[in-house]
Amino acid sequence: MDGALAAVRDLLVVALMASGTFFMVVTGIGLVRFPDVYTRMHAAGKAGTLGIALLILAPVVFFAGTDPFVSVRGCLAIVFQLLTTPGATYLLAHACYATNHPLHERTALDELQEFRLVYPDEEFGDE
Amino acid sequence: MSGFVALSASICMALLFVAAGLALYRIVVGPRAADRAVGFDMLSTVIVGMICVLCVAWRSTLYFDAVWILTLVGFLGTAAIAKYLARGRIF
Repeated sequence: MDGALAAVRDLLVVALMASGTFFMVVTGIGLVRFPDVYTRMHAAGKAGTLGIALLILAPVVFFAGTDPFVSVRGCLAIVFQLLTTPGATYLLAHACYATNHPLHERTALDELQEFRLVYPDEEFGDE
Repeated sequence: MSGFVALSASICMALLFVAAGLALYRIVVGPRAADRAVGFDMLSTVIVGMICVLCVAWRSTLYFDAVWILTLVGFLGTAAIAKYLARGRIF
């Protein structure tokens, strides 16, 4: 790989790493500063997913010409992350709401209130 | 140019340690179990990001397998905790 292309690649890698790290730090700050568990899930579920996708793209770009399987594994990792993080966050949010985990006192609107489950077991099914 | 990448990787690593510390703060302080589960989820994500940065810093693809394996199994802990909180048992 010649010099100019390597320089562009390095700049791209640094930009991806910096933006991914920025979103991770923002997620951490949100995790500490937000008042209740639902808003904390909002921080960890969205900003964290974007941050990890950008951070995984950095080695994919960095090893683009050398190891062909890195890009495959990297795209696979991003797909897995995009598949699993919303599922885990949904399960946790649903468990919290079904067990009457308290919302923050300044919560403006709770549209799920009228559908609140009486028996949390029914939603998950009884296998 | 490679020193530039290594330097920025070190800075990113330090900032990721800050993010991991914030997640650890939530795990330690978090008033209920669900808050700790969120912090644990975040901590595993930050560790995956650290491995990515280390791959760039060390110019090695040796540890890149850990990235996609951790993204594949990292959510299982959170899902297990969620099911336990909702039903009192996991399976």
